[in-house]
Amino acid sequence: MSDVHYFFPPAAAYPLNRFLFALKSDAAARARYVADAQATLRDYGLDEATRAALAGFDRDRLVALGAHPYLVFMAQVRLTMEREPGTFEYF
Amino acid sequence: MPLVAAFACPHTPQLLVRPPTEDRALVLRVHAALAEVKRRLTAARPDVIALIAGDHIEGFFLNAVPALAVHVGARAAGEFGRYRYAFDVHEPLARAIVEQCIEAGFDLAYTQDVPLDYAFYVPLHFAMPSPPVPIVPLYVNVYLPPQPTPRRCHAWGRALRAIVDARPERVALVASGGLSHFPGTERYGAPDFDFDRALLASLAEGRGADTARLTGEELDKAGNVELRTWITLLGALGETRAEVLAYEPSWHHGNAVVAWPA
Repeated sequence: MSDVHYFFPPAAAYPLNRFLFALKSDAAARARYVADAQATLRDYGLDEATRAALAGFDRDRLVALGAHPYLVFMAQVRLTMEREPGTFEYF
Repeated sequence: MPLVAAFACPHTPQLLVRPPTEDRALVLRVHAALAEVKRRLTAARPDVIALIAGDHIEGFFLNAVPALAVHVGARAAGEFGRYRYAFDVHEPLARAIVEQCIEAGFDLAYTQDVPLDYAFYVPLHFAMPSPPVPIVPLYVNVYLPPQPTPRRCHAWGRALRAIVDARPERVALVASGGLSHFPGTERYGAPDFDFDRALLASLAEGRGADTARLTGEELDKAGNVELRTWITLLGALGETRAEVLAYEPSWHHGNAVVAWPA
């Protein structure tokens, strides 16, 4: 997509970036996604290729689709913190 | 009133949430350096901390991307994991900054209501003086290209210093960010520590103005998009020599804690 790590977010990827932003920053959206991923993905208007990339949280595919790398990263961190809260504050 | 203190601090959230992926001894050494910042900040008796940080697409999303912005609300609050935080905003200084910067040709955005990112919280969690003081959150866009140029950040820092010097409050300036890290990219496990070490050596010689000549591409390639917050601070500090309190490169992050004599 680009030779820089952080690139201009293409307008076509706005629904994907909006979804990743919700996962990262909106606890209710995150809980809904954990409860019913497919229904949540449809509600955000994401196409099939995007839904497939999100199924495995495939960073390279998501970034190739225009996802902001930081949003991919922190959405995944926040999902992990929600699913496995015991793994943090280890010391 | 001249500046009473100036520091730069990291804000990687692993310092806060301490996951098992981290080297415990290293994290505790960074905590100790931040405790030294807290001790010095307390001794400097600031009335307000003006904190320059990059937003991690938390306060500002793609509905509006300000290059430079100021929080001019009553309170600034946010959350990260189980941490919930809120700080009083020093409205008179925040308002003076937005009004006088616009007069000086810096068309700042302002907000009275965005969530406060952990880039602001992590340094304050560890280094807020005791008793606590109000803050002024100053935003530099670091993650959504096109970001402001290093030259522009440095010039903004000079303008901020002129404003602060004419204020009645005792002001501490703190930059939050860096050093090298690449969150979300294939370089996450391979920061550019050589860039960081050369930078810190240069800052220790008082050559902060050199950072204004870096390009955005150079910052991106070095994992230092957040250095724009430091460059802003360096604009405020001129040729003052830095004192490096800690440089602790972890598997993903060049943790640097730096002080400048006020």
